[in-house]
Amino acid sequence: MKLHKETRDIQHRLGDYCKTGREVSLPGVTEGRIKHYRRLVYNVVKNSMDQAYPIASSALGTVLWDELVNDFFSNHAPRSTQIWKLPHEFYEYHYSKNTATKLKRAWLNDLLWFEWAEIEVHTMPDRDVLPYNEEGDSLVDPLILNPEHEVLQLEFPVHKQSLVDIESHRGEYYVLLYREPETGRVRFIDLSVLHAFILMKVNEEGIPLNEFKGEIASIASIESEKYLDDYLRDFMGNLMEKKMVLGFAVS
Amino acid sequence: MKGKVGIGLRRDIANEIIDSEPIRPDFIEFAPENWMGIGGYWNRIREKAVSKYPVTCHGLSLSLGSPEELDWDFVSELKAFLDENQVQIYSEHLSYTKSKNAHLYDLLPIPFRKDAVDHVSERIMRVQEALGRRIAIENVSYYTPVAAEMSETDFICSIVEKSDCRLLLDVNNVYVNAFNHGYDARSFIDNMPLDRVEYIHMAGHEKVEKDLIIDTHGRPIIDPVYDLFEYTIDRMEPVPVLLERDYNFEDLESISAELDHLRDLIRKKWGVVHEAAQGNA
Repeated sequence: MKLHKETRDIQHRLGDYCKTGREVSLPGVTEGRIKHYRRLVYNVVKNSMDQAYPIASSALGTVLWDELVNDFFSNHAPRSTQIWKLPHEFYEYHYSKNTATKLKRAWLNDLLWFEWAEIEVHTMPDRDVLPYNEEGDSLVDPLILNPEHEVLQLEFPVHKQSLVDIESHRGEYYVLLYREPETGRVRFIDLSVLHAFILMKVNEEGIPLNEFKGEIASIASIESEKYLDDYLRDFMGNLMEKKMVLGFAVS
Repeated sequence: MKGKVGIGLRRDIANEIIDSEPIRPDFIEFAPENWMGIGGYWNRIREKAVSKYPVTCHGLSLSLGSPEELDWDFVSELKAFLDENQVQIYSEHLSYTKSKNAHLYDLLPIPFRKDAVDHVSERIMRVQEALGRRIAIENVSYYTPVAAEMSETDFICSIVEKSDCRLLLDVNNVYVNAFNHGYDARSFIDNMPLDRVEYIHMAGHEKVEKDLIIDTHGRPIIDPVYDLFEYTIDRMEPVPVLLERDYNFEDLESISAELDHLRDLIRKKWGVVHEAAQGNA
């Protein structure tokens, strides 16, 4: 290490000051100027969080939101070289610190996760897609899903309901987020437990619906085969129109 | 790209740049960190831009001045990205953005000291070896020196010399620093190793206090910075020149006019030199 301990310490002290805002004494600085570094650094981080979490920041209010950002940046060492990924570290940090419980906002983890997932799906690298036909039978042919998607399991319906009385709606909710291939826009669809099960099974196992129709019938308590077939064809037809299902696997 | 004028590829103006309407740069520059490893809409925009224009890259997160070890995984990803995009010039800031392995996402001033010269020079050499190319380092704007034991010019010149790297001369930063720290901008330019300059940056700034300018990249270039630019290019060989604009994109015609004004100045200085050289040949 060519850098002397004294120089290294000075650099670290300036870095600490920028992270925490706690006053520091540094040699050879111009009076009144150091504060601009804290302001500029903190603004970059704050803007990143404000843009990533517009709903959460608005729901918590300016003062509380600023406390959360300040706590995160003061006590966490950001790892990402790319600032657009920093909001994910913010979500992980507050999840691990149990902030939602401490603030008596049980829905906070779900909301942060949902808002982050929108960024992640929008920005994630393009994934390979197997060859597919646009014509086929959604019960018989394996379906090819849009690969840029995520299914979230939530405790609170943050994706479809105001936060006002949301704590009385604690339960099991699923939401699908996917990226439209042509526009790159992120869309989300509220899913029932059954729909979530079907999508996850198709995604993970790549098998035709017919092969696990029995399981679906049992979960949904559907006895009529014709009703079930129509139900599944409608569901998949709808997802195809929305470009969440791209087509049918080339055999 | 020598003597050509480029602009930073920002998302707010990406379509106007790709359509060349109304912004018509000769080349584009972008920060690798803003475009690496992403897909979807913005990846397609990057591909279109790269297929249309020559590209330079200006890094944000390498943190050449940090006390801690370089992030070699990042350097490896960076190399692949620079190769994929056929990046002609890669530059980074002579500053540090990471402290105690925490990214800070802004440029902190390195103490102007002999041990820092040695430390940073060695890191630049190692990065150059890993990337398989020379890099250009930028003189950054700073709002206070910290624990300096040598002048800024000696600091920059020593690192360029010792690491055998190139210099990205940010003329606006020279102006900003001269104002903020009370030195003469032209003398500073005279003391720079102008034969090592590979690239020039120009930008606007904002005066926030009577004795302090912040380098914002959010406003038009002011006349004294154009004057300093003319003074500078009169003393050096042609290199690419970039207009940095990070926000305030409401008036695209005026940004286009800034590009044209830079072209006029370049034609006046370097164009004449070229024509004369060709005539003599």
